[in-house]
Amino acid sequence: MSTNNDIHGQYRGTRGELFHLAIVTTILTVITLGIYRFWAKTRIRKYIWSSAVGDGDAFEYTGTGLEEFLGFLVAVVVLAIYLGVIQMVLFFFGLSFVAEPTTPAEVIMMMSLLYLNLLALLPLIFYAAYRARRYKMARTRWRGVRFGMEQGAWGYALRASGYTILMIVSIGLLAPLANFKLEKYMIDRSWYGDAKFEQHGKWTKLYGAMKHIFIGLTVLSVGIGAGAAMESEAMLAIGGVVGYVWLVVGGLYYRVHSMRYFFANRTLGEDIAFKAEPRTWDLLKIALIGGLIIGAILLAIMAVGGLGMAGVMSMVAQSESFALMGLIGFVGAVLYVLLLVLVGALTLVFILQPMINHFVTTFTVQGKDALGDISQRAAETGVDAEGFADALDIGGAF
Amino acid sequence: MLEAAGIYFDGVSAAKHHVDVRLDEATGYLSFEGQSIGAPQHWRLEELRLLADQPSGGWLTFTRHISGDDEMLRHEARLSLRDGVLNARLREFAPRLHKRDVNKGAGLRIVKLMGGAFAAVALMLFVILPAMADTLARFMPRDREEQFGQVVIKQISWFVSRDSDADLSCKNDAGLAALAKMEARLTANIDMEYELNIQVFDHPMVNAFAAPGGQIVIMRGLIDEAKGADAVAGVLAHEIGHVEHRDSTRNALRAAGSAGLISMVLGDFSGGALAAILAEQMLDASYTREAEAEADKFALEALRNAGVSGTGFASFFDYLLEQQSAALELPFYFMSHPPSQERADKARAFAQKQTATSSVLSAADWKALQGVCD
Repeated sequence: MSTNNDIHGQYRGTRGELFHLAIVTTILTVITLGIYRFWAKTRIRKYIWSSAVGDGDAFEYTGTGLEEFLGFLVAVVVLAIYLGVIQMVLFFFGLSFVAEPTTPAEVIMMMSLLYLNLLALLPLIFYAAYRARRYKMARTRWRGVRFGMEQGAWGYALRASGYTILMIVSIGLLAPLANFKLEKYMIDRSWYGDAKFEQHGKWTKLYGAMKHIFIGLTVLSVGIGAGAAMESEAMLAIGGVVGYVWLVVGGLYYRVHSMRYFFANRTLGEDIAFKAEPRTWDLLKIALIGGLIIGAILLAIMAVGGLGMAGVMSMVAQSESFALMGLIGFVGAVLYVLLLVLVGALTLVFILQPMINHFVTTFTVQGKDALGDISQRAAETGVDAEGFADALDIGGAF
Repeated sequence: MLEAAGIYFDGVSAAKHHVDVRLDEATGYLSFEGQSIGAPQHWRLEELRLLADQPSGGWLTFTRHISGDDEMLRHEARLSLRDGVLNARLREFAPRLHKRDVNKGAGLRIVKLMGGAFAAVALMLFVILPAMADTLARFMPRDREEQFGQVVIKQISWFVSRDSDADLSCKNDAGLAALAKMEARLTANIDMEYELNIQVFDHPMVNAFAAPGGQIVIMRGLIDEAKGADAVAGVLAHEIGHVEHRDSTRNALRAAGSAGLISMVLGDFSGGALAAILAEQMLDASYTREAEAEADKFALEALRNAGVSGTGFASFFDYLLEQQSAALELPFYFMSHPPSQERADKARAFAQKQTATSSVLSAADWKALQGVCD
């Protein structure tokens, strides 16, 4: 039901502008040996935020590259010590990683080492994830008013680590519990101006969204079981592939439908509610078509580039000049880096932006009249940007 | 005077104000008024800023520069104008629309933090990790070290032959017996910590390697090009030095610690892995140079104890020098070996001080060693 008290999300970013921005900022990043990446990320965010429009008013990202850079420097000092020591000690005990494990005991030791390694980093990763989200909230504005999030990164890291262990122990069956509690932890600490977000609902309601994961698992086990029983490799292969694809799509379906549930049961202040209606199939279509377009572009470039390179190489082979060969090697390396730059920009333009577009345009805010009563929240200084998240490589492209 | 409709947010609340905007070029002010905002607002054009990186072709949002605590030094109020004549004229006429304002004192903070970060990373890479690698290498169980060394040898063999199943080691009994004699003579007076396992690989490369756990590989090319048995003995003694110093185990441990650190500092920007490898190589070279000098010292000491002349060892450096001037000049830091002239001079000076020396192998044994791969 749509009333004129609703705000429907709009997205006005274009492929051309974003592509141009992505290429320029990534090339600057390569030239500056990675330093510019903080400014690059900020500029991409500014573009995407200001492309998202509600009721004619664009969002605004007020983070700065400088803040990101300073936060990163702080994190480096801490992580330099932590990472170096942990990795070397693990390498010392895990030297048999390189040798091929032959006995079951060796395999178990290797696996447990691997998980121990991950477990040691987990709390830090969760800590960083909360800090990153808090920074992003503090630097987002709409209608001139700030969003914000209370402190609580260590509390989050503790809970997230606990729920992750619970999830592993329950072989994923308690994923909705972990999901719901952690989301609620963050939402209940979030604000828009002086209005507080609140997450209602129950974690058990998320099981409905998991149905395709269960179907995928059933197909997988029945297919493999039947294949093994009938000793038919065809049956095994069909059951495996169908079950696996179903499982992957089911994972996406869960993400989409849990998001719908979360927003349907979320409020801002007394009178504002939300409706998020992204569609699994549309997102899948975006990913598939985007992937095909990128693949086709890369294939064309590599065909042309490969021919050119082969021609040049045969010329060089005849001249037998070391200097020329070195030059060709250098040019080859530069071309390789440029290709990576292109892949990043194309992914942003053909997959990520269309997905964001889809999320924004299927989003509704209900009760816009109450927005006028929300007042500004105090500026937050001293949030250390996303130093840890950036150093640990969390959060992807932007 | 240009006029247009705009939307204004005062930065105090999220309430939306529809305003009429006027650009007065003569006085240099952008003025606007509306029923809901009370008194008309006047923004000086020098203070006017356009938010960066907005999509074009629709509404554009402007703000005002202030000094204070705001992360971008901008006033909290926002004014949005639809794309049109006024909007276009404003972007042409306002003098500092795109100026990026930076807090005073930011420069000093950056310098301080960068200094701190740089010092921490350098301390880690050049002091703590190497020291830890030294200690850990000493505590590594011998059989694990040997196992690791075998993997390294397999990798070398794959690297030179591009065939993972190839067995390159030379099997001529007389040749191997001669090699064993050489080993026995060089280590006779040394209290060895490792049991050596020396192989010759059938490959024309002029080189030799020491892998973890006492394993040494000599390439056939080195024996072919050597001026005599003493030259091979010098190189072998040098490699035994690497073994006794646990250089390759230490290097592997240190590399494991620093690789993650370097890739973190350089970030995951496109091609970051490439830069990380280069940086790692540079770091590696500086350690290797030190280790090479130490191994040379060990080799000369071993030659002295065995009563073998250092002239042969020096001749090997002469050969390296010749090869080097023929090939491309590599930047100093990328060379894994210290300047050969210096090393040759050291070996020669050492040889001159030696008194009674005899060749490390008899002529017959040297002949046998030259045929180890037949």
